[in-house]
Amino acid sequence: MAIRSIRWTPDIWMTRPDGRLRLTLLGGALGSGKTTWARHQLHLARFGRSVHVLVNEAAETPIDDQLLTGAQGVTVLAGGCACCTGRAALMASLRELCNRRSSGGALQPDRVLLETSGLADPGAIVRAIQADPVLLHHILLDEVIVAVDALHALAQLRDEPLCRRQIAAADRMILTKADVAPPAALNILRATLRQENGHAATEACAFGETLPLPPLPPEAIAVKLPDPDAADCRGPPVTASLRLPAGLDWSDTLLWLSALLHARGDEIVRVKGVLRTPAGRILLQSVCKVVQQPEILPDTAKARADDVLVVIGRGFRGAELDRSIRRFLGGAP
Amino acid sequence: MCNACGYPAAPGPWTEAGAATPGDRLRTRFHRVAVLNRILRPYGLSADDGGWVPGLQLGRLTGERVLVGDLGALWQEAERFLGHPIDPLDPRYLDD
Repeated sequence: MAIRSIRWTPDIWMTRPDGRLRLTLLGGALGSGKTTWARHQLHLARFGRSVHVLVNEAAETPIDDQLLTGAQGVTVLAGGCACCTGRAALMASLRELCNRRSSGGALQPDRVLLETSGLADPGAIVRAIQADPVLLHHILLDEVIVAVDALHALAQLRDEPLCRRQIAAADRMILTKADVAPPAALNILRATLRQENGHAATEACAFGETLPLPPLPPEAIAVKLPDPDAADCRGPPVTASLRLPAGLDWSDTLLWLSALLHARGDEIVRVKGVLRTPAGRILLQSVCKVVQQPEILPDTAKARADDVLVVIGRGFRGAELDRSIRRFLGGAP
Repeated sequence: MCNACGYPAAPGPWTEAGAATPGDRLRTRFHRVAVLNRILRPYGLSADDGGWVPGLQLGRLTGERVLVGDLGALWQEAERFLGHPIDPLDPRYLDD
């Protein structure tokens, strides 16, 4: 009985969302204002009161004491970027936090805010967590937030492939120092960011305070960025919304997606969407080849975005996806 | 993970998500293997699902069969058999 139920109980595959530790990743280039923004958000308790902050510094730097207000605890991972040399330390800290939750002590975090070093690729951290057999069951990646320096980001995007990877991984982009950036330059930056990452929400702030962001005027032109390497010579990534064909079985969608990510995982940077299944609405999201454990979402009236997959990547045109899913599942020779 | 055989080594194939009841899961497996066979036949491959043992079997015309734990492993083995991945964005699916 025991062995059989291990294989087939869906709760093992899909830990309920409330059981898992929520992880918010905060990335962004060096000096882009991550800490300033995070401190203000913690002060306003935007992440709740039981949030544990993990700060990764590539260099040894003393931490700001003010960061502690509003957070339940702070761990500093100094001396090594969490996506490469400091990865083991990050994994150990996350496991420790998961243990603390499981053992039922006084300080039980509900959420972890991981402020990465400016040199970290958020995608690499997500992949490392997904590859860890323990953390996979205990951590649910909630959001990737990337701080974008309104003054310097254009130059960084031009020169630093890493900066573009950070932008590509974002669910939410925070334009910091927006109060001092000229409006015209800000619009060019916003258009460029939209070209690089069309699905992420954009917010502006100054010293952590949210500023109103007017709608982007249509005359704002994106800067053409140089090709960071040969793989990207097809230009900026395509953002496509695939409305799943009516009558398509949800398991067929997963079948197609698994084949697509196996064949094109290096080119398809991100997939996100909500599928209707017998178990409820499940949230699918992937970073490169890694698909996060699907999370069951509550049923809400706002279901218009269901059965739509957002696919971001290179090497395909948006219209091809619909054709691909129909013909592939039909077994066209 | 099963203590005796270590299966599955990596927990939680995401492709198994969505079925709510054991009936759904079984139906999904049989439906999936039918669709898979439609996809694999033009490549000279076939899939087989016993229904009670975990995983799928992927076979080719030479008679060689491999047991794969999930769809990710299936596509990987198919790539090994064929020498190239089965790509849903292959022109054979996109062209008229």
